[in-house]
Amino acid sequence: MAALIRGLRAGRALRGLSSVAVRGILSPQCSNVRRGFHRAVLLRLASDAKSDTSVPPPSYHEAHTAGESSSSTQGESTEEPQPNTSFQDQSGEHGEDYETEEQLQARILTAALEFVPQHGWTVETIAAGAETLGLSSASTGLFNNGAGDLVLHFIAQCNTQLAETLAEQNNQIQLGQAESKKTAEFLKDAVETRLRMLIPYIDTWPQAMSILLLPHNIPDSLKHLSTMVDDIWYYAGDRSTDVNWYTRRAALTGIYNTTELVMVQDSSPDFEETWAFLDNRIKDVVNMANTAKQVQATGEAVVQGLMGAAITLKNLTGMNQRR
Amino acid sequence: MHRFVRPLMLRDSKQRLLPTAGQLCTKNKSVVFSARGYVVLPPTNDEEEKAMLHRMMRVDHAGEYGANRIYAGQMAVLGRTQISPLIQEMWDQEKQHLCKFNEILAENRVRPTILLPLWHIAGFALGAGSALLGKEGAMACTVAVEESISEHYNSQIRTLMEKDPEKYTELLQLIKELRDDEMEHLDTGLEHDAESVPGYQLMKAIIQAGCKAAICVSEHL
Repeated sequence: MAALIRGLRAGRALRGLSSVAVRGILSPQCSNVRRGFHRAVLLRLASDAKSDTSVPPPSYHEAHTAGESSSSTQGESTEEPQPNTSFQDQSGEHGEDYETEEQLQARILTAALEFVPQHGWTVETIAAGAETLGLSSASTGLFNNGAGDLVLHFIAQCNTQLAETLAEQNNQIQLGQAESKKTAEFLKDAVETRLRMLIPYIDTWPQAMSILLLPHNIPDSLKHLSTMVDDIWYYAGDRSTDVNWYTRRAALTGIYNTTELVMVQDSSPDFEETWAFLDNRIKDVVNMANTAKQVQATGEAVVQGLMGAAITLKNLTGMNQRR
Repeated sequence: MHRFVRPLMLRDSKQRLLPTAGQLCTKNKSVVFSARGYVVLPPTNDEEEKAMLHRMMRVDHAGEYGANRIYAGQMAVLGRTQISPLIQEMWDQEKQHLCKFNEILAENRVRPTILLPLWHIAGFALGAGSALLGKEGAMACTVAVEESISEHYNSQIRTLMEKDPEKYTELLQLIKELRDDEMEHLDTGLEHDAESVPGYQLMKAIIQAGCKAAICVSEHL
């Protein structure tokens, strides 16, 4: 018990240290060292829990027994209640089912998402998520970016889901089991699918949007946005290799961002107004594209007409004669 | 009956809307497809390698696009002279190359360079400007550009060979064929009195410096 408290204190101290370090510019080695520290803290906490003879808090007890039962069933297929928990594997820290830090972070963040309606996009949410996994709330120290990590994880998850849905639809079309949609309809459905993933978190979404606008988060959020827009256009059938590549993606980015803004202040049932807005914006873009094509065709016709007129003039004035 | 000369506009090739990887142009008689089908870039999960391959394809695509526009400019000025069938033939080969790169970019979801409109104008201007110096000027421009491009392809071949010749077999084969075509154009240019244009060395130096800058910039932007 005393060892546990010592461990917790150490964790808190390290978290304090790390938050100071975050303000400065981090070198990769520095962050690796910090991550090593954090892993050591977690390992120490876990090993304290294991070696502790007195009654530990319930969360550690559960994890501890789960670990014991999993290590006792050697050679059996993995049917643990929890996915691989390396620091409780008796065969050592670097066993075959060693979980990487990224995987652990992903698990914590995914678990944290269910607490977002309660606590918003904050570090408390991450702590709550960590606790459901049986980890100490000090494991929020794993996340240098705090709430930003949570938001970025969420949008990465949404984009992956969207890409999978679009790929699945594409498969259906290839197999002839579904009709291919027109571009405008496809774009509308794709953007709607993606925006509907925000509905469970729509009340706190303005907070998430403002987190994404923080300067240190902008490169990552732009990257996710551009990947998503590229995916949507790819599955819509865009294979352009000229400046259209850019204009199409810019147009869709504009549509997506404005529709997202409309959605966060939309109070109509099932966000009807948002989908109507989306429909209108896509119609606008399609109209603009058609108009551009018409203008180009007209321009070419006008040029031809002028050339014809010039030739006629040359003929009339006898300038076209070969002497 | 007199035809007026109008600059042949390079239209964007019509893109099919279905995401199936169909052949967008079938006139690649000079490029051999491997037994694995149409996959030129090896699939990879390594982000750095993917970025490198995408950069290479982006700059090659920009290069062929520019070469296309240069020949278009030359044809605009010299389209009614004796040298025109020769320039037309070289231009057709460049069109095939561009077609091939359009395919590769579409298949592998490579971003084209944002400077394409700039190369659209600059290439045409260079071609037309050099052709105004006469047939020798056009040939000199061809020699300078083709030498730059061959040099560039050679350095790409070296890079790929250093990394892993086995993995990049198709890509190496493609680049080698393209390089051979460009060297052929280079020799054609030299045969047709490229060096007899006044200020040949100066012109060549300027054009090659421009090409180097264009290559450098198109890789990243």
